[in-house]
Formats: sequence, structure tokens, C-alpha cells
Amino acid sequence: MTTYHPSVKRLLDGELRLGDLPPELRAEGEDARRLVAALDREPVTLSRAVDAQVMAAVRHHAKSPARRIWRWVAAPREVELRLRVRPWALWGGALAAAAGVTLLLTRAAAPVPSGAVATHVAARNVVFVRFVLYAPGAKRVTVAGTFNQWDQTAAPLVPAGTDGVWTTTLALPVGQHQYAFVVDGRRWVADPAAPAVDDGFGRRNSVVAVTTQGARTL
Amino acid sequence: MESRDAATDGEIVRAVLAGDVELYAALVERYRDRFARYAVRMLGSHDAGEDAVQDALVRAFDRLADCRDPDKFAGWLFLILRNRCFAEQRRHQREGHMPEDAADAVAAPERSDGAVERRESAQALARAVGQLTPQQREAFVLKHVEGLSYEEIARLTGATVASLKMRMHRAYDRLREHMKEHLR
Amino acid sequence: MRALGLALVIVVGGASPCGLAAQDVAARLDGRVTADVVRTVQGIARDAAARGLPVEPLIQKAIEGGAKGVPADRVIAAVRVLAARLDEARSALREAGTPAPSPEALESGAYALSAGLNARQVRDLGRVSRPSYDPALTLRVAATLTALGVPAQQGLQLMTHMIQAGRGPNDLLDLPNEVQVGMARGATAAEAAEGLDIGEEGEGRHNQQGQQGEHRPSPHEP
Repeated sequence: MTTYHPSVKRLLDGELRLGDLPPELRAEGEDARRLVAALDREPVTLSRAVDAQVMAAVRHHAKSPARRIWRWVAAPREVELRLRVRPWALWGGALAAAAGVTLLLTRAAAPVPSGAVATHVAARNVVFVRFVLYAPGAKRVTVAGTFNQWDQTAAPLVPAGTDGVWTTTLALPVGQHQYAFVVDGRRWVADPAAPAVDDGFGRRNSVVAVTTQGARTL
Repeated sequence: MESRDAATDGEIVRAVLAGDVELYAALVERYRDRFARYAVRMLGSHDAGEDAVQDALVRAFDRLADCRDPDKFAGWLFLILRNRCFAEQRRHQREGHMPEDAADAVAAPERSDGAVERRESAQALARAVGQLTPQQREAFVLKHVEGLSYEEIARLTGATVASLKMRMHRAYDRLREHMKEHLR
Repeated sequence: MRALGLALVIVVGGASPCGLAAQDVAARLDGRVTADVVRTVQGIARDAAARGLPVEPLIQKAIEGGAKGVPADRVIAAVRVLAARLDEARSALREAGTPAPSPEALESGAYALSAGLNARQVRDLGRVSRPSYDPALTLRVAATLTALGVPAQQGLQLMTHMIQAGRGPNDLLDLPNEVQVGMARGATAAEAAEGLDIGEEGEGRHNQQGQQGEHRPSPHEP
């Protein structure tokens, strides 16, 4: 395949002018420009029927009960746990400033928290991970997982500033963990912002991997 | 001027989320045509482009709660549309057909002098663009049809400027190859 | 009861690993599940240990079932399923050419199976991971992609392309987050994953006329 000279490509990119090309390349440059100039750039107008069809669908979707439930579950987008945060952003607590990022990580020299099972590899590094759940109307929310033997009383969340948002920060050892939120002591809820796996009991667990670079979706 | 037209995107999104669903029509009207050309050029036909825009607008409503910055609704809607276009292109590839009517998407000439020839060139080029990979086609359309800079395209698509230039330069060569017959 | 269990462990000391594992199981599960669950899980764990499979995940699963108030028979069923998955993961990794997969690799394999990959996919990923990538890592990434909603085969393909292109482990570990970022922008998991797949850049697949995809140096290039 014959290829354009790199300078002709830069001409097409708008980085060079025709006059900038050496004389032996000008013909090629003009050909190339003619080719691209043949492009149809006319704006496109869609039919007005699109408006009506979209709004008909929108009204229909707005009514569906599934959507109401979805909105409860999906609302935590604003409090999404799992955006990856660069390590250099962690120091100095500048994290909270970033809109929508709720993953709060700092490195601590603290020992493994009490209650950790002795057979786990003792972690020299412990990472603080913040858990957040949007659960308006809940009276109690806790988080239970492999890091606390699924003890549903060990890690209560507290209401955060915003209505209906619950949060807590835990020191987790390095490794992969599964967890779920427990609402009002009876309802086990997976984290809507995290990948979910079948727990083998008919429900779903959420997964987080804690590494020395922080927590990631894994 | 209607009060609706004066509202910002962010205000409308928040109002819709608060329950005023009918206000979404203002966003539909605002953006229906804005991205239409991109969709039509990406998918190679007016109908396919229209379907994609329509679907994207509905999907944007369904996921409105996910729009983290309501004032940037336009960019967010564009990404939904973009994904829809890529998904459609993948479906075409799987089903083994390239849009034959790529040429039909080209505007009809209004005058007759030289216009027919121009139209044929445009059709040939449209077919050639349809032969590019989806990523090359997008880079080409965004730069040469929509007139965006590399930096703007990078911000929009998440690709780096370097990889965009790489795609674009390959696209130029492939277009040249496809158009060789026509240019003669 | 637990103190007694631990005391027995100390006393027994140099007994066979199987015996120790059984005591360990009882000590860990005591008070968390019913006695018959303890007994049954001890048996499952003993068999697993004898087969060289890791026991810890089984204990964890039983603890989880107890904490969730799950009926005894379901706890036992879940532990059995997990043991079977560990076994299946081992077969798959052996077929992939790893005669003695690590406990982490087996756990990752079982996780992958529970997330929705099948044994063949685990085997394929194990195969393509050798020798430079730890299957414990690659399987975990593939499993998490599937857990996010990326179709298993597509996730496998994405990872295969990344591995074949020599991308580092951190790039692989970043994939689930990247998919989530795409999803936050409105894509489905499958669409987000497709957008990450560098296989697209190879071009050859999309070229209708079968031209070579890679850029050929032209006489003009420096």
C-alpha cells in the first residue's frame, strides 16, 4: 500500500500549511487535501418524530416499578466506592475534594485490627477503606465480610452528612475480601457499585481487593 | 422566550431527577440534532444514525441518576451515543455486512454544475470511510467532519493524542488506497 | 469449648496435617454453626486437604453461612460446591500445564468458576498466562470482569490480548476499574470492556480486504 508522506499527514492534521511542504511533496499534499475536502460535512437534521418517540419511551420507563427500585439501588453512584485513586492522591487527604470520589485510603502503621483470624497472613501494611451505602429509611447499617468473619455487628456504619448516606472506615489487611452490607439487622445487601459474586446461599457478595496501592475493584 | 429554554442542562437534569419527567423533552430537543451528524457518519446511514440517537436519548434518561455532573449532560450523552455506535458497528461486523447505503447518507446536490461529480466523490469517500476500523472512523469523523482538535477528541474519547494520531494516519493511508480508483 | 479446641491443637502438636486441619476446623467453626455442620465440614475439609486442596476457603464459607443465618443443609451444600470448584479449578490448571497450582491459584480458579467462567475458560486462561503471569492474578481479574457483567468469553479475550501484548500485571489489575469507569459514563460492562480491548488496534480483524493491519514503514519514514 502506498502511504502518504508523514509531512502530508501533518498537513491533513492541520499542523502544516501547503506552503510549508517541500516542492516535491506539494502535489501529493494537494491530492490529499482534495480527498478530505470531498467529505460531506452537511449538518444532519433528524425527524421531529424522534422527540415524540423518545418522550413516549421516557414516560413509559418512568412509570416502571423496576425503575423505582433501580433508582434506590443506583443512587449511590454519587457515592461510588470503586473509582481508582492514584497513590499520590492519597497523601494529605486531598481525596475528599474530588467530586464523587468516596474511596478514602491512607497508609497506616497500625497493627492488624483485633478480631482478625489468626490463620490470615499478618499484614504489615494495613489500608483504611471507606464503605458507603445509600440507604434512606434504614435504622441500622453494618458491613460484614471476610475481614471480620461476617460478623454483622462488628462494623456499624454511621449516617454521613447527606440524607440517607451511611459510611464507615475500616482498616483492612492486604488481600481479597468479600463483603456485604446488613440493613436493619436482617437484609443483606451487596454493594451496588462493586462487582458481585454468588455467595452460594442465594445472595450476592461484593468483592474488593486491598493492595498496598489501595483498594481496587478486584 | 420560554422559561424552559433558559434553563441550563444541569437545572433540567436535576428537575427531571426530582420527578418532572416532561422536562426531559427540553434536553431531547436541544441535543437531537447536535450529535446526529456524528452518528450518521459513524454508522453510514441516516436511519441507523437516527435510531442510535433515539436510543441514546432514552438510555440517557434511564441512567440519569448516574450522570455525575448534570451540567455536563452533553458530554455524558455523547459517550452513551458513542458506545451505542460502537456496539452497532460490532454487530454489523459480526453479521458480516458493511452498510451498503453509506453513500445514501451523502446530501443530494442542489445545483447541477460539478455537483454530481462532487456528490460521487463524497459517496466514494463515505464508502471508504465505512471501511475503516471503528476507531479510525471515529477519529476521522470527529476531526474532519466535526472539526475537533486532537486534544478535544482525546478529552472526549479518553484516548491519548498519540494513539489518535496513529489511528488517523493509518486512516489517511487506507482512504487513499480505497480512493485510488476513484481519483484516477 | 473453643479454648479446649485450641488446647487440643497444642497438645496434638506433631500429628498428621489432616488431623491438625480437622481440629483447626472445629476450633474455627465452634459456636458459629451447628454441631452437625462442624462435623460435616470437618469431613469435607479432611478430604480436601488429603487431595491437596486449600481448606481455608471452605472454613470461611462455613463461617459466612453461619453468620448469615443460613440453614445447616445449605451451608453444607455451599461448602461442598466450593470444594468441588477448587477441584475443578485444579483439573483445569493442570490441563493448562501447571502440574501443582498454588493455593492462591486454586482459590482464584474457584472464584472464577463461581463468577461464571467455565472450566474450559479457566484452562485457556491458565494456558495463556504461562509462564510469565501468575494465574492467581489473571484468574482473579477475569473473574472480577465477569462479576461486573462482562461476558466471560469477552473478558477472556480481552485478557488474552493484553497478555499477548505483554502488558504488565498492573495493567491487568486495572481492567476492572477501567470497566467501571466506562460504566459510570453510561456504557454497559460489555461495551466498556470492548472499548479497552487492544485487539481492536491490530486492525487485521476488521480489514475487509485482508491487508496487513500493522503500519508498514514507508520509504519516507525516518
